[in-house]
Amino acid sequence: MNWRGRLNKYLASAYKNWIISRRNIFTLFELFFWPMISLLSIGLLTRFLKVDEGMGSFLLVGAIALTILQVAQIDVAYVLLFDMWSKSIKNTFIAPVHSYHLVFGALLFGILRGSVVFLILVVVSHYLFGFNFLAGGLLPVLIFLAGVFATAAVIGIIVCICILTFGQKADVAAWSLSGLILLFSGIYYPINVLPGPLQTAARAIPLTYFLEYYRSVFIPEPHNLALGALLAALYLVIGLVLFDRAIERARRTGIMLRLSE
Amino acid sequence: MTEKAVQADGICKTYKGFFGKATKVLKNITLEIDEGEIFGLLGPNGSGKTTLISIFSTLIYPEQGSLCILGLDGLKDTDRIRKLINISTAKPNFPWSLTVKENLRHYGMLYGLYGSGLSQIVRDQIDAFELNDFQDLKFEDLSTGLKQRLSLAKAMLNSPRLLFLDEPTTGLDPDISMKTRHLIGKIHKEQNITVLLSTHYMPEAEMLCDRIAFLRKGEIVALDTPQNLKNHLGLGEKVTVQFLGGLDTAELKRVPGVLSVSAFPGKVEIVIDRNAENLDRIVKLFAGAKILDISIKEPDLEDVFIELAR
Repeated sequence: MNWRGRLNKYLASAYKNWIISRRNIFTLFELFFWPMISLLSIGLLTRFLKVDEGMGSFLLVGAIALTILQVAQIDVAYVLLFDMWSKSIKNTFIAPVHSYHLVFGALLFGILRGSVVFLILVVVSHYLFGFNFLAGGLLPVLIFLAGVFATAAVIGIIVCICILTFGQKADVAAWSLSGLILLFSGIYYPINVLPGPLQTAARAIPLTYFLEYYRSVFIPEPHNLALGALLAALYLVIGLVLFDRAIERARRTGIMLRLSE
Repeated sequence: MTEKAVQADGICKTYKGFFGKATKVLKNITLEIDEGEIFGLLGPNGSGKTTLISIFSTLIYPEQGSLCILGLDGLKDTDRIRKLINISTAKPNFPWSLTVKENLRHYGMLYGLYGSGLSQIVRDQIDAFELNDFQDLKFEDLSTGLKQRLSLAKAMLNSPRLLFLDEPTTGLDPDISMKTRHLIGKIHKEQNITVLLSTHYMPEAEMLCDRIAFLRKGEIVALDTPQNLKNHLGLGEKVTVQFLGGLDTAELKRVPGVLSVSAFPGKVEIVIDRNAENLDRIVKLFAGAKILDISIKEPDLEDVFIELAR
Protein backbone atom coordinates (compact mmCIF):
# COMPACT_ATOMS: atom_id res chain seq x y z
CA MET A 1 0.00 0.00 0.00
CA ASN A 2 1.46 3.38 -0.97
CA TRP A 3 1.47 6.55 1.14
CA ARG A 4 -1.89 7.75 -0.20
CA GLY A 5 -3.55 4.51 0.84
CA ARG A 6 -1.95 4.70 4.27
CA LEU A 7 -2.96 8.36 4.59
CA ASN A 8 -6.57 7.52 3.71
CA LYS A 9 -6.75 5.04 6.58
CA TYR A 10 -6.17 8.02 8.86
CA LEU A 11 -8.46 10.35 6.94
CA ALA A 12 -11.35 7.85 7.07
CA SER A 13 -12.20 8.85 10.64
CA ALA A 14 -11.94 12.57 9.88
CA TYR A 15 -14.23 12.03 6.86
CA LYS A 16 -16.83 10.21 8.94
CA ASN A 17 -16.75 12.75 11.80
CA TRP A 18 -16.95 15.64 9.34
CA ILE A 19 -20.08 14.30 7.60
CA ILE A 20 -21.83 13.37 10.84
CA SER A 21 -21.06 16.77 12.37
CA ARG A 22 -22.14 18.58 9.20
CA ARG A 23 -25.54 16.87 9.27
CA ASN A 24 -26.17 17.43 12.97
CA ILE A 25 -27.69 20.80 13.84
CA PHE A 26 -26.58 20.34 17.44
CA THR A 27 -22.98 20.55 16.28
CA LEU A 28 -23.64 24.29 16.35
CA PHE A 29 -24.11 23.99 20.10
CA GLU A 30 -20.67 22.43 20.40
CA LEU A 31 -19.08 25.00 18.13
CA PHE A 32 -20.84 28.19 19.14
CA PHE A 33 -23.36 27.92 21.96
CA TRP A 34 -21.35 26.36 24.78
CA PRO A 35 -18.05 28.10 23.88
CA MET A 36 -19.82 31.47 23.84
CA ILE A 37 -21.62 30.75 27.12
CA SER A 38 -18.30 29.80 28.69
CA LEU A 39 -16.41 32.83 27.37
CA LEU A 40 -19.16 35.36 28.09
CA SER A 41 -19.81 34.14 31.62
CA ILE A 42 -16.13 34.28 32.54
CA GLY A 43 -15.63 37.59 30.73
CA LEU A 44 -18.58 39.16 32.55
CA LEU A 45 -17.31 37.74 35.83
CA THR A 46 -13.99 39.56 35.32
CA ARG A 47 -15.95 42.81 34.88
CA PHE A 48 -18.07 42.19 37.95
CA LEU A 49 -15.01 41.45 40.06
CA LYS A 50 -13.18 44.39 38.46
CA VAL A 51 -10.06 42.26 38.07
CA ASP A 52 -6.95 43.80 36.55
CA GLU A 53 -5.83 43.10 33.01
CA GLY A 54 -3.43 40.35 34.03
CA MET A 55 -6.04 38.49 36.07
CA GLY A 56 -8.58 38.96 33.28
CA SER A 57 -6.21 37.35 30.78
CA PHE A 58 -5.56 34.53 33.27
CA LEU A 59 -9.25 33.66 33.44
CA LEU A 60 -9.98 34.14 29.74
CA VAL A 61 -7.03 31.96 28.71
CA GLY A 62 -8.41 29.25 31.02
CA ALA A 63 -11.93 29.56 29.61
CA ILE A 64 -10.71 29.38 26.02
CA ALA A 65 -8.34 26.47 26.76
CA LEU A 66 -11.09 24.44 28.42
CA THR A 67 -13.52 25.09 25.57
CA ILE A 68 -11.08 24.05 22.84
CA LEU A 69 -10.05 21.02 24.88
CA GLN A 70 -13.67 19.89 25.19
CA VAL A 71 -14.35 20.30 21.48
CA ALA A 72 -11.21 18.45 20.36
CA GLN A 73 -11.40 15.64 22.94
CA ILE A 74 -15.01 14.84 22.08
CA ASP A 75 -14.01 14.59 18.42
CA VAL A 76 -11.41 11.96 19.27
CA ALA A 77 -13.94 10.13 21.43
CA TYR A 78 -16.55 10.39 18.64
CA VAL A 79 -14.45 8.02 16.54
CA LEU A 80 -15.80 5.18 18.69
CA LEU A 81 -18.92 6.86 20.10
CA PHE A 82 -20.52 7.27 16.66
CA ASP A 83 -19.77 3.63 15.86
CA MET A 84 -21.07 2.49 19.23
CA TRP A 85 -24.29 4.50 19.01
CA SER A 86 -24.96 3.23 15.48
CA LYS A 87 -23.89 -0.31 16.49
CA SER A 88 -21.42 -0.44 13.62
CA ILE A 89 -18.22 -1.02 15.57
CA LYS A 90 -17.68 -4.43 14.00
CA ASN A 91 -17.50 -2.86 10.54
CA THR A 92 -14.62 -0.68 11.70
CA PHE A 93 -12.68 -3.40 13.49
CA ILE A 94 -13.11 -6.01 10.79
CA ALA A 95 -10.96 -3.68 8.66
CA PRO A 96 -7.16 -3.65 9.01
CA VAL A 97 -7.00 -0.55 11.22
CA HIS A 98 -5.11 0.31 14.39
CA SER A 99 -5.69 2.75 17.20
CA TYR A 100 -3.40 5.36 15.67
CA HIS A 101 -5.41 5.43 12.42
CA LEU A 102 -8.57 6.18 14.35
CA VAL A 103 -7.09 8.62 16.86
CA PHE A 104 -5.05 10.78 14.50
CA GLY A 105 -7.80 10.89 11.86
CA ALA A 106 -10.35 12.01 14.43
CA LEU A 107 -7.85 14.37 16.05
CA LEU A 108 -7.26 16.03 12.70
CA PHE A 109 -10.94 16.92 12.54
CA GLY A 110 -10.86 17.89 16.22
CA ILE A 111 -7.99 20.29 15.51
CA LEU A 112 -9.98 21.79 12.67
CA ARG A 113 -13.07 22.29 14.80
CA GLY A 114 -11.04 23.41 17.80
CA SER A 115 -9.24 25.98 15.64
CA VAL A 116 -12.55 27.36 14.36
CA VAL A 117 -13.79 27.71 17.95
CA PHE A 118 -10.49 29.28 18.98
CA LEU A 119 -10.66 31.91 16.25
CA ILE A 120 -14.24 32.79 17.17
CA LEU A 121 -13.39 33.11 20.85
CA VAL A 122 -10.26 35.16 20.13
CA VAL A 123 -12.27 37.63 18.06
CA VAL A 124 -15.13 37.82 20.58
CA SER A 125 -12.81 38.19 23.59
CA HIS A 126 -10.93 40.95 21.78
CA TYR A 127 -14.01 42.98 20.91
CA LEU A 128 -16.01 42.41 24.10
CA PHE A 129 -13.29 42.26 26.73
CA GLY A 130 -10.30 43.92 25.04
CA PHE A 131 -8.17 40.80 25.41
CA ASN A 132 -5.52 40.37 22.71
CA PHE A 133 -4.73 36.68 22.51
CA LEU A 134 -1.94 37.32 20.02
CA ALA A 135 -0.12 39.82 22.25
CA GLY A 136 2.85 37.48 22.59
CA GLY A 137 3.04 36.67 18.89
CA LEU A 138 1.91 33.67 16.87
CA LEU A 139 4.44 31.10 18.09
CA PRO A 140 3.28 31.01 21.73
CA VAL A 141 -0.30 30.64 20.51
CA LEU A 142 0.64 27.69 18.30
CA ILE A 143 2.61 26.04 21.12
CA PHE A 144 -0.29 26.59 23.51
CA LEU A 145 -2.79 25.12 21.03
CA ALA A 146 -0.51 22.14 20.39
CA GLY A 147 -0.54 21.43 24.13
CA VAL A 148 -4.31 21.74 24.35
CA PHE A 149 -4.84 19.43 21.36
CA ALA A 150 -2.33 16.86 22.66
CA THR A 151 -4.12 16.79 26.03
CA ALA A 152 -7.45 16.49 24.19
CA ALA A 153 -6.12 13.50 22.25
CA VAL A 154 -5.06 11.77 25.47
CA ILE A 155 -8.49 12.34 27.05
CA GLY A 156 -10.23 11.11 23.88
CA ILE A 157 -8.08 7.98 23.93
CA ILE A 158 -9.00 7.35 27.59
CA VAL A 159 -12.69 7.61 26.66
CA CYS A 160 -12.20 5.10 23.82
CA ILE A 161 -10.39 2.71 26.17
CA CYS A 162 -13.26 3.03 28.69
CA ILE A 163 -15.82 2.20 25.99
CA LEU A 164 -13.93 -0.89 24.84
CA THR A 165 -13.37 -2.02 28.41
CA PHE A 166 -16.68 -1.26 30.10
CA GLY A 167 -19.09 -1.14 27.17
CA GLN A 168 -21.83 1.33 26.29
CA LYS A 169 -22.34 2.78 29.75
CA ALA A 170 -18.84 4.22 29.64
CA ASP A 171 -19.86 6.91 27.16
CA VAL A 172 -20.49 9.19 30.14
CA ALA A 173 -16.69 9.40 30.42
CA ALA A 174 -16.70 11.44 27.22
CA TRP A 175 -18.22 14.39 29.07
CA SER A 176 -16.83 13.75 32.54
CA LEU A 177 -13.09 13.60 32.09
CA SER A 178 -12.72 17.22 31.02
CA GLY A 179 -14.33 18.09 34.40
CA LEU A 180 -11.28 16.62 36.09
CA ILE A 181 -9.05 18.77 33.90
CA LEU A 182 -11.09 21.80 34.99
CA LEU A 183 -10.49 20.90 38.61
CA PHE A 184 -6.85 19.88 38.46
CA SER A 185 -4.92 21.67 35.76
CA GLY A 186 -5.34 25.29 36.78
CA ILE A 187 -7.99 26.43 34.34
CA TYR A 188 -9.37 29.19 36.57
CA TYR A 189 -6.80 29.32 39.37
CA PRO A 190 -3.09 28.62 39.80
CA ILE A 191 -2.48 25.07 40.92
CA ASN A 192 -0.65 26.19 44.08
CA VAL A 193 -4.07 26.84 45.65
CA LEU A 194 -4.80 23.10 45.43
CA PRO A 195 -4.10 20.80 48.40
CA GLY A 196 -0.69 19.09 48.22
CA PRO A 197 -1.71 15.71 46.69
CA LEU A 198 -3.90 17.43 44.12
CA GLN A 199 -0.97 19.65 43.13
CA THR A 200 0.97 16.47 42.39
CA ALA A 201 -1.91 15.28 40.24
CA ALA A 202 -1.99 18.66 38.48
CA ARG A 203 1.73 18.36 37.75
CA ALA A 204 1.01 15.08 35.94
CA ILE A 205 -1.32 16.81 33.44
CA PRO A 206 0.41 18.29 30.36
CA LEU A 207 -2.17 21.06 30.00
CA THR A 208 -1.04 22.53 33.34
CA TYR A 209 2.37 23.31 31.85
CA PHE A 210 1.00 24.69 28.58
CA LEU A 211 -1.35 26.98 30.50
CA GLU A 212 1.51 28.23 32.68
CA TYR A 213 3.62 28.78 29.58
CA TYR A 214 0.99 30.75 27.74
CA ARG A 215 -0.03 32.80 30.76
CA SER A 216 3.62 33.74 31.26
CA VAL A 217 3.25 35.80 28.08
CA PHE A 218 0.82 38.05 29.96
CA ILE A 219 1.98 37.62 33.57
CA PRO A 220 5.68 36.72 33.71
CA GLU A 221 5.96 33.57 35.83
CA PRO A 222 8.29 30.54 35.70
CA HIS A 223 7.08 27.60 33.60
CA ASN A 224 8.34 24.23 32.42
CA LEU A 225 7.11 23.86 28.88
CA ALA A 226 9.60 21.11 28.05
CA LEU A 227 8.22 18.86 30.80
CA GLY A 228 4.67 19.50 29.58
CA ALA A 229 5.63 18.58 26.02
CA LEU A 230 7.45 15.48 27.23
CA LEU A 231 4.46 14.37 29.30
CA ALA A 232 2.09 14.97 26.38
CA ALA A 233 4.24 12.91 24.02
CA LEU A 234 4.67 10.17 26.61
CA TYR A 235 0.95 9.97 27.35
CA LEU A 236 0.11 9.87 23.66
CA VAL A 237 2.42 6.92 23.06
CA ILE A 238 1.25 5.10 26.19
CA GLY A 239 -2.38 5.93 25.33
CA LEU A 240 -2.07 4.47 21.83
CA VAL A 241 -0.43 1.32 23.16
CA LEU A 242 -3.18 0.92 25.78
CA PHE A 243 -5.86 1.65 23.17
CA ASP A 244 -4.50 -1.16 20.97
CA ARG A 245 -4.45 -3.43 24.02
CA ALA A 246 -8.04 -2.46 24.82
CA ILE A 247 -9.01 -3.42 21.25
CA GLU A 248 -7.30 -6.79 21.65
CA ARG A 249 -8.93 -7.30 25.04
CA ALA A 250 -12.35 -6.43 23.58
CA ARG A 251 -11.74 -9.10 20.95
CA ARG A 252 -10.83 -11.64 23.63
CA THR A 253 -13.76 -10.87 25.92
CA GLY A 254 -16.29 -10.53 23.12
CA ILE A 255 -17.21 -6.92 24.03
CA MET A 256 -16.36 -6.06 20.43
CA LEU A 257 -19.30 -8.20 19.33
CA ARG A 258 -21.66 -7.01 22.06
CA LEU A 259 -21.01 -3.37 21.17
CA SER A 260 -22.40 -4.12 17.72
CA GLU A 261 -25.61 -5.78 18.91
CA MET B 1 -4.70 -30.41 -3.58
CA THR B 2 -7.42 -27.89 -2.69
CA GLU B 3 -6.21 -24.93 -0.64
CA LYS B 4 -7.99 -24.43 2.65
CA ALA B 5 -9.72 -21.13 3.29
CA VAL B 6 -10.39 -22.02 6.92
CA GLN B 7 -8.75 -24.62 9.12
CA ALA B 8 -10.06 -24.58 12.67
CA ASP B 9 -9.05 -27.08 15.29
CA GLY B 10 -10.53 -27.31 18.78
CA ILE B 11 -12.01 -23.80 18.85
CA CYS B 12 -13.64 -22.95 22.19
CA LYS B 13 -15.22 -19.70 23.30
CA THR B 14 -16.68 -18.69 26.64
CA TYR B 15 -18.31 -15.36 27.42
CA LYS B 16 -17.83 -14.19 30.97
CA GLY B 17 -20.44 -12.00 32.59
CA PHE B 18 -19.64 -9.00 34.75
CA PHE B 19 -20.04 -11.03 37.94
CA GLY B 20 -18.00 -13.94 36.66
CA LYS B 21 -20.86 -16.04 35.26
CA ALA B 22 -19.45 -17.90 32.28
CA THR B 23 -21.34 -19.16 29.25
CA LYS B 24 -19.58 -21.59 26.96
CA VAL B 25 -20.82 -20.79 23.46
CA LEU B 26 -18.44 -22.86 21.33
CA LYS B 27 -17.15 -26.28 22.28
CA ASN B 28 -14.23 -27.80 20.45
CA ILE B 29 -15.13 -26.75 16.91
CA THR B 30 -12.99 -28.48 14.29
CA LEU B 31 -13.70 -27.56 10.71
CA GLU B 32 -12.07 -27.17 7.30
CA ILE B 33 -13.43 -25.09 4.45
CA ASP B 34 -11.97 -25.33 0.95
CA GLU B 35 -11.13 -22.26 -1.10
CA GLY B 36 -13.88 -21.46 -3.58
CA GLU B 37 -16.52 -23.27 -1.55
CA ILE B 38 -19.81 -21.85 -0.26
CA PHE B 39 -20.04 -23.29 3.19
CA GLY B 40 -23.18 -23.02 5.29
CA LEU B 41 -23.53 -22.81 9.05
CA LEU B 42 -27.01 -23.75 10.20
CA GLY B 43 -28.40 -23.67 13.67
CA PRO B 44 -31.06 -22.16 15.88
CA ASN B 45 -30.64 -18.88 17.74
CA GLY B 46 -27.91 -19.16 20.34
CA SER B 47 -26.22 -22.12 18.69
CA GLY B 48 -22.98 -20.17 18.23
CA LYS B 49 -23.11 -19.31 14.52
CA THR B 50 -22.40 -15.59 14.93
CA THR B 51 -19.65 -16.25 17.47
CA LEU B 52 -17.98 -18.77 15.15
CA ILE B 53 -18.15 -16.40 12.17
CA SER B 54 -16.82 -13.59 14.37
CA ILE B 55 -13.87 -15.75 15.37
CA PHE B 56 -13.14 -16.83 11.80
CA SER B 57 -13.28 -13.19 10.70
CA THR B 58 -10.86 -12.23 13.55
CA LEU B 59 -13.38 -9.84 15.07
CA ILE B 60 -13.09 -11.74 18.34
CA TYR B 61 -10.63 -14.36 19.54
CA PRO B 62 -11.17 -17.88 20.84
CA GLU B 63 -9.72 -18.85 24.19
CA GLN B 64 -8.67 -22.26 22.92
CA GLY B 65 -7.82 -23.90 19.64
CA SER B 66 -5.85 -23.14 16.52
CA LEU B 67 -7.09 -21.26 13.50
CA CYS B 68 -5.67 -20.86 10.02
CA ILE B 69 -7.34 -18.44 7.61
CA LEU B 70 -6.19 -18.45 3.97
CA GLY B 71 -2.90 -20.00 5.06
CA LEU B 72 -2.27 -17.36 7.75
CA ASP B 73 -2.31 -17.79 11.51
CA GLY B 74 -5.76 -16.68 12.63
CA LEU B 75 -4.50 -15.52 16.01
CA LYS B 76 -1.23 -13.84 15.00
CA ASP B 77 -1.48 -12.64 11.38
CA THR B 78 -4.78 -10.89 11.98
CA ASP B 79 -3.83 -7.65 10.25
CA ARG B 80 -2.91 -9.48 7.05
CA ILE B 81 -6.02 -11.63 7.27
CA ARG B 82 -8.29 -8.57 7.62
CA LYS B 83 -7.03 -7.28 4.27
CA LEU B 84 -8.20 -10.52 2.62
CA ILE B 85 -11.62 -10.99 4.21
CA ASN B 86 -14.82 -9.08 4.80
CA ILE B 87 -18.17 -9.58 6.46
CA SER B 88 -21.83 -8.74 6.00
CA THR B 89 -24.12 -9.28 8.94
CA ALA B 90 -27.79 -9.72 9.73
CA LYS B 91 -29.58 -6.49 10.61
CA PRO B 92 -26.61 -4.48 9.33
CA ASN B 93 -25.71 -1.21 10.99
CA PHE B 94 -23.72 1.68 9.65
CA PRO B 95 -23.27 5.29 10.78
CA TRP B 96 -26.83 6.59 10.48
CA SER B 97 -26.34 9.93 8.88
CA LEU B 98 -23.91 8.85 6.18
CA THR B 99 -25.46 8.13 2.79
CA VAL B 100 -24.96 4.86 0.94
CA LYS B 101 -22.15 6.39 -1.11
CA GLU B 102 -20.50 8.07 1.88
CA ASN B 103 -20.58 4.85 3.90
CA LEU B 104 -18.92 2.97 1.06
CA ARG B 105 -16.29 5.72 0.71
CA HIS B 106 -15.62 5.72 4.45
CA TYR B 107 -15.11 1.97 4.67
CA GLY B 108 -13.13 1.97 1.42
CA MET B 109 -10.77 4.50 3.02
CA LEU B 110 -10.35 2.24 6.05
CA TYR B 111 -9.10 -0.43 3.63
CA GLY B 112 -6.55 2.03 2.22
CA LEU B 113 -8.36 2.73 -1.05
CA TYR B 114 -7.88 6.23 -2.43
CA GLY B 115 -8.39 8.64 -5.32
CA SER B 116 -10.04 7.55 -8.54
CA GLY B 117 -9.58 3.88 -7.60
CA LEU B 118 -11.75 4.38 -4.52
CA SER B 119 -14.38 6.29 -6.51
CA GLN B 120 -14.45 3.55 -9.17
CA ILE B 121 -14.82 0.73 -6.62
CA VAL B 122 -17.63 2.60 -4.87
CA ARG B 123 -19.38 3.11 -8.22
CA ASP B 124 -18.87 -0.57 -9.12
CA GLN B 125 -20.44 -1.75 -5.86
CA ILE B 126 -23.33 0.67 -6.21
CA ASP B 127 -23.94 -0.74 -9.71
CA ALA B 128 -23.44 -4.37 -8.71
CA PHE B 129 -25.91 -4.16 -5.84
CA GLU B 130 -28.39 -1.96 -7.69
CA LEU B 131 -28.07 0.93 -5.27
CA ASN B 132 -27.90 3.69 -7.90
CA ASP B 133 -31.27 5.18 -7.04
CA PHE B 134 -30.49 5.16 -3.33
CA GLN B 135 -26.83 6.19 -3.21
CA ASP B 136 -27.62 9.61 -1.76
CA LEU B 137 -30.04 8.34 0.86
CA LYS B 138 -28.87 8.32 4.46
CA PHE B 139 -28.50 4.91 6.08
CA GLU B 140 -31.29 5.68 8.55
CA ASP B 141 -33.68 6.26 5.63
CA LEU B 142 -33.01 2.92 3.90
CA SER B 143 -35.37 -0.06 3.96
CA THR B 144 -34.17 -3.30 5.54
CA GLY B 145 -33.50 -4.81 2.12
CA LEU B 146 -31.46 -1.81 0.99
CA LYS B 147 -29.46 -1.87 4.23
CA GLN B 148 -28.64 -5.50 3.51
CA ARG B 149 -27.54 -4.65 -0.01
CA LEU B 150 -25.34 -1.85 1.34
CA SER B 151 -23.84 -4.31 3.79
CA LEU B 152 -23.05 -6.73 0.95
CA ALA B 153 -21.60 -3.88 -1.13
CA LYS B 154 -19.40 -2.85 1.81
CA ALA B 155 -18.25 -6.43 2.19
CA MET B 156 -17.00 -6.46 -1.41
CA LEU B 157 -15.02 -3.19 -1.23
CA ASN B 158 -11.65 -4.86 -0.67
CA SER B 159 -12.30 -7.70 -3.15
CA PRO B 160 -12.09 -10.29 -0.37
CA ARG B 161 -10.89 -13.84 -0.95
CA LEU B 162 -13.05 -15.01 1.92
CA LEU B 163 -16.47 -13.51 2.58
CA PHE B 164 -18.47 -14.05 5.76
CA LEU B 165 -22.23 -13.64 5.54
CA ASP B 166 -23.95 -13.82 8.89
CA GLU B 167 -27.65 -14.49 8.31
CA PRO B 168 -27.79 -12.22 5.26
CA THR B 169 -31.53 -12.66 4.66
CA THR B 170 -32.85 -12.52 8.22
CA GLY B 171 -35.76 -10.11 8.48
CA LEU B 172 -36.07 -9.61 4.73
CA ASP B 173 -39.26 -10.04 2.70
CA PRO B 174 -39.34 -13.30 0.71
CA ASP B 175 -38.77 -11.57 -2.64
CA ILE B 176 -35.86 -9.52 -1.28
CA SER B 177 -34.44 -12.66 0.35
CA MET B 178 -34.51 -14.43 -3.00
CA LYS B 179 -32.87 -11.47 -4.69
CA THR B 180 -30.17 -11.40 -2.02
CA ARG B 181 -29.53 -15.13 -2.49
CA HIS B 182 -29.14 -14.61 -6.22
CA LEU B 183 -26.70 -11.76 -5.54
CA ILE B 184 -24.65 -14.00 -3.25
CA GLY B 185 -24.61 -16.74 -5.86
CA LYS B 186 -23.59 -14.22 -8.51
CA ILE B 187 -20.73 -12.82 -6.41
CA HIS B 188 -19.43 -16.30 -5.76
CA LYS B 189 -19.69 -17.37 -9.38
CA GLU B 190 -18.15 -14.25 -10.89
CA GLN B 191 -15.35 -13.74 -8.39
CA ASN B 192 -14.77 -17.31 -7.24
CA ILE B 193 -14.46 -16.28 -3.62
CA THR B 194 -14.95 -18.52 -0.65
CA VAL B 195 -18.17 -17.81 1.20
CA LEU B 196 -19.03 -18.82 4.74
CA LEU B 197 -22.72 -18.27 5.24
CA SER B 198 -24.77 -18.67 8.37
CA THR B 199 -28.51 -18.99 8.10
CA HIS B 200 -31.70 -20.19 9.73
CA TYR B 201 -33.20 -21.15 6.42
CA MET B 202 -32.84 -24.62 5.00
CA PRO B 203 -33.87 -23.56 1.46
CA GLU B 204 -31.21 -20.86 1.50
CA ALA B 205 -28.54 -23.33 2.52
CA GLU B 206 -29.74 -25.82 -0.07
CA MET B 207 -29.75 -23.23 -2.81
CA LEU B 208 -26.32 -21.80 -2.10
CA CYS B 209 -24.12 -24.13 -0.09
CA ASP B 210 -21.75 -26.85 -1.23
CA ARG B 211 -21.53 -28.15 2.32
CA ILE B 212 -23.33 -27.45 5.57
CA ALA B 213 -22.38 -27.74 9.22
CA PHE B 214 -25.18 -27.89 11.79
CA LEU B 215 -24.44 -26.18 15.05
CA ARG B 216 -26.33 -26.91 18.22
CA LYS B 217 -25.39 -25.57 21.62
CA GLY B 218 -21.92 -24.64 20.39
CA GLU B 219 -21.11 -27.98 18.80
CA ILE B 220 -21.11 -29.23 15.23
CA VAL B 221 -23.62 -32.08 15.20
CA ALA B 222 -23.51 -32.81 11.47
CA LEU B 223 -21.40 -31.78 8.49
CA ASP B 224 -21.96 -32.81 4.87
CA THR B 225 -23.46 -31.72 1.57
CA PRO B 226 -27.13 -30.69 1.84
CA GLN B 227 -28.26 -33.71 -0.16
CA ASN B 228 -26.17 -36.20 1.80
CA LEU B 229 -27.40 -34.77 5.06
CA LYS B 230 -31.02 -35.15 4.08
CA ASN B 231 -30.47 -38.60 2.64
CA HIS B 232 -28.48 -39.67 5.64
CA LEU B 233 -31.03 -38.30 8.03
CA GLY B 234 -34.02 -39.40 5.99
CA LEU B 235 -35.21 -35.87 5.62
CA GLY B 236 -36.76 -35.73 2.21
CA GLU B 237 -40.16 -34.24 1.53
CA LYS B 238 -42.86 -35.65 3.76
CA VAL B 239 -45.89 -36.83 1.77
CA THR B 240 -48.93 -37.47 3.97
CA VAL B 241 -51.75 -39.48 2.40
CA GLN B 242 -55.11 -40.02 4.07
CA PHE B 243 -57.05 -42.85 2.53
CA LEU B 244 -59.74 -45.49 2.89
CA GLY B 245 -58.93 -49.12 2.10
CA GLY B 246 -55.79 -51.25 2.08
CA LEU B 247 -52.18 -50.40 1.25
CA ASP B 248 -49.05 -52.53 0.81
CA THR B 249 -46.53 -50.53 2.83
CA ALA B 250 -43.73 -53.03 2.08
CA GLU B 251 -44.18 -52.32 -1.64
CA LEU B 252 -44.18 -48.62 -0.86
CA LYS B 253 -40.81 -48.88 0.90
CA ARG B 254 -39.32 -50.49 -2.19
CA VAL B 255 -40.11 -47.53 -4.46
CA PRO B 256 -36.82 -45.84 -5.42
CA GLY B 257 -36.42 -42.52 -3.62
CA VAL B 258 -38.67 -43.47 -0.70
CA LEU B 259 -36.60 -42.85 2.42
CA SER B 260 -39.07 -43.97 5.09
CA VAL B 261 -42.70 -44.98 5.57
CA SER B 262 -44.77 -44.53 8.73
CA ALA B 263 -48.20 -46.18 8.57
CA PHE B 264 -51.17 -45.26 10.79
CA PRO B 265 -54.82 -46.30 10.54
CA GLY B 266 -56.17 -44.48 7.46
CA LYS B 267 -52.99 -42.47 7.07
CA VAL B 268 -49.46 -42.98 5.85
CA GLU B 269 -46.47 -40.63 6.03
CA ILE B 270 -43.89 -41.21 3.32
CA VAL B 271 -40.56 -39.40 3.27
CA ILE B 272 -39.20 -39.16 -0.24
CA ASP B 273 -36.04 -37.83 -1.78
CA ARG B 274 -37.27 -34.59 -3.30
CA ASN B 275 -35.06 -35.01 -6.37
CA ALA B 276 -36.52 -38.40 -7.22
CA GLU B 277 -39.45 -38.22 -9.64
CA ASN B 278 -41.42 -40.95 -7.97
CA LEU B 279 -44.67 -39.41 -6.79
CA ASP B 280 -46.46 -40.98 -9.73
CA ARG B 281 -45.31 -44.49 -8.71
CA ILE B 282 -46.33 -43.87 -5.14
CA VAL B 283 -49.82 -42.74 -6.09
CA LYS B 284 -50.26 -45.88 -8.24
CA LEU B 285 -49.79 -48.03 -5.14
CA PHE B 286 -52.99 -46.49 -3.77
CA ALA B 287 -54.96 -47.97 -6.68
CA GLY B 288 -56.93 -50.23 -4.36
CA ALA B 289 -57.75 -47.46 -1.92
CA LYS B 290 -59.70 -44.20 -1.98
CA ILE B 291 -57.42 -41.21 -1.42
CA LEU B 292 -59.05 -38.58 0.79
CA ASP B 293 -56.20 -36.09 1.01
CA ILE B 294 -52.54 -35.66 0.02
CA SER B 295 -50.19 -33.06 1.45
CA ILE B 296 -46.52 -32.50 0.75
CA LYS B 297 -44.24 -30.77 3.22
CA GLU B 298 -40.63 -29.81 2.56
CA PRO B 299 -38.17 -30.61 5.31
CA ASP B 300 -37.20 -27.62 7.37
CA LEU B 301 -34.58 -26.82 9.92
CA GLU B 302 -36.77 -28.10 12.70
CA ASP B 303 -37.06 -31.49 11.01
CA VAL B 304 -33.31 -31.65 10.66
CA PHE B 305 -32.71 -30.85 14.28
CA ILE B 306 -35.36 -33.17 15.57
CA GLU B 307 -33.67 -35.90 13.59
CA LEU B 308 -30.19 -34.93 14.70
CA ALA B 309 -31.27 -34.92 18.32
CA ARG B 310 -32.33 -38.58 18.23
